[in-house]
Amino acid sequence: MLDLILTPDFFFAILRITAPILFATLGAVVGEKAGVSNIGLEGIMMMSALFGSLTSYWTGSWFVGLLVALIVGVLEALLMGFFAFNLKTDIILTGIAVNMIGSGGTLFLVKVITNITEGKPLASTTSLITAVNQIPSWNIPLIKDIPVVGDVLSGHSILTYIAFLLVFLTWVLLYKTPLGLNIRSVGENPNAAASVGVSVLKVKYIAIGFSGLMAGFGGAFMSMYYAMGWSLDMVAGRGFIALAAQAMGGGEPLGSMLSALVFGFAQALSIKVSSKGIDSNLVTPIPYLVTILGLVVFALVLRSKVKRQHSAAALKEAEKK
Amino acid sequence: MNKKRSIIFSLVRGTAAILIALAVAALLIFVSSDGAGAGEKLAQTADAMRQLLIGPAFKSSGGISVKNLSDVLAAMIPIVFTGLATCVMFSANQFNLGAEGGIMLGAFVASMVAIYAPLPPVVLPIAAILAGALAVGAMMLIPAVLKAKLGVSEMVNSLMLNYVVLYFIKYLLNSHLADKSKGQIMSYPFQAHAAIPQLIDNGSKLSWGFVVALIFVVLVYLFMYRTRWGYSIRMIGINQDFAMYSGMKVAAVVVLSQVLGGLLAGMGGGIEVLGRYTTFNWNTLPGYGWTGITVAILAGNNPAFVPLAAFFMAYLNKGCNLMSTYCGVPSQLIDILQAVIFVFFAAEQFLSGYRQKLVVKSTQEELKRAAQEAQEKGEVK
Repeated sequence: MLDLILTPDFFFAILRITAPILFATLGAVVGEKAGVSNIGLEGIMMMSALFGSLTSYWTGSWFVGLLVALIVGVLEALLMGFFAFNLKTDIILTGIAVNMIGSGGTLFLVKVITNITEGKPLASTTSLITAVNQIPSWNIPLIKDIPVVGDVLSGHSILTYIAFLLVFLTWVLLYKTPLGLNIRSVGENPNAAASVGVSVLKVKYIAIGFSGLMAGFGGAFMSMYYAMGWSLDMVAGRGFIALAAQAMGGGEPLGSMLSALVFGFAQALSIKVSSKGIDSNLVTPIPYLVTILGLVVFALVLRSKVKRQHSAAALKEAEKK
Repeated sequence: MNKKRSIIFSLVRGTAAILIALAVAALLIFVSSDGAGAGEKLAQTADAMRQLLIGPAFKSSGGISVKNLSDVLAAMIPIVFTGLATCVMFSANQFNLGAEGGIMLGAFVASMVAIYAPLPPVVLPIAAILAGALAVGAMMLIPAVLKAKLGVSEMVNSLMLNYVVLYFIKYLLNSHLADKSKGQIMSYPFQAHAAIPQLIDNGSKLSWGFVVALIFVVLVYLFMYRTRWGYSIRMIGINQDFAMYSGMKVAAVVVLSQVLGGLLAGMGGGIEVLGRYTTFNWNTLPGYGWTGITVAILAGNNPAFVPLAAFFMAYLNKGCNLMSTYCGVPSQLIDILQAVIFVFFAAEQFLSGYRQKLVVKSTQEELKRAAQEAQEKGEVK
């Protein structure tokens, strides 16, 4: 078992698999910081994946495809924001609606669009993405020549590097910029934020727009690199796993990245195990089970921490007397 | 605002939401139709919309289509159950989205009992359905207890469970329980006496399950509005802190609402497979759970309106199927329609200006009446 795991290509796989989850997780992190629970990440990823792959095929340029995926992601998130903030639809229900469109609605769209452009309705775009219009990978100079480390870190898609870079950038955004302060204050106490002149509505729109942007990245990664094209339900719960990663990471960028890596590990492991001839239906649910377990462990840890803090505070009180 | 006005408002709002959804549908059909000019496209759109709206009820010759209507009624059965399940869970403010996996697990467990349990007629289908319901009730204990005891999000957990259930069933079916003599992956056939008898034998699969579904609508309504537990569930949904301070066992009710939801979803799964199929062959999640959420939202989480909402969704779904058969519009249009209706129904501020006007009007009338009464009293003196 260990010799199966302790290989460079296994660690390479973890990073590759984590990237789309990480994008969505960062979206969830910033959303939750502003008090916006975006459970529509899954559906937005599906939509971005679809339009990213189609555009990349039409234009022959992965970059334009990526751009369109991002725009679609942001627009869909802002539309969610309009319903949630202006029309006061429950944000959870808005997310459910987006996920409905992300599942069956995308299949409708791909059939209709390919019927017009290709002359026949296709049920997926898997034949449309090839090595030419795929998001390219990058061999990092120097690092790629280091034995083991180079095999793990070099040769990923550009988006994988962007994903991990964004962890740092998100942290900077949240803790080192005025906007980040506003986002956090709106999430913690919208009334207080409003009373000092922060436009709560605007900040919430920015936060949900950011989460849409991240889901756009994740979707593009899925259809233009991870798989060669869009197919039905291809995101397979990664948007939901991202919500769990956010919760387990305590809502912080770095911690959430670590929990996203745990899911990446679980999934890489399940792929490895199924290649050994074990029924894939038995190993595919591992990441989902790990999610449930992870949430439980996190809740238990949080609980004992709170208890310890309480008892420490009580001891202090007792000493004073 | 008086009762009559608020009913009028709900009707106007609901109609507006549906009209917007239909307009979106018409637009999508118009864009996607392969007609040459705008006129031809318009004709095709009109044709498709006619299938969508009238097709499920009427034949093209004009008479009422009994077959299509009974199809619609049959399609209501599973979504009435998932709708009721969602009503109960959402009423307690528990955003448990596990009805989707729940109905699949219920269907699977009921199927297994229907295949293997050596039970006499009548007892067998009942035992099968109950087994399915209990299995899902037990499954819902996981997100419910974790929420009540540890505060873990029931939403994420129930979503994860959906996937776990799906793959678990696929694994059991593929590796152990499949009928190897068949080309596709399916279970062995149910024992003949496990089938739920049909109400109408026209191939619509409108079984007695439909009647059971309606009975459960009444039962769940009575439970929610006429019992102490139902009251607790609703009160926790409205104001959890108030419920806690007034001495309700919040944790117990949180668990109860989700387990009840599970029982209902599981029962729906059992009734659906035994009424419609002769083997178990689902290899993806059926989508009834999501439709059930829409049904619950349309019904305003009130079980009494669930049959109406379920009829509406089943009707639209049938319309979309007819449209894809006769007009070549992909049937997945239903998902977009559903989502659009859904968000507008759930939007509190949708048409709030109109509601404001109605409120103002009511208040003015009341003031006038009060003034008049005061005047009359003055005259008497």
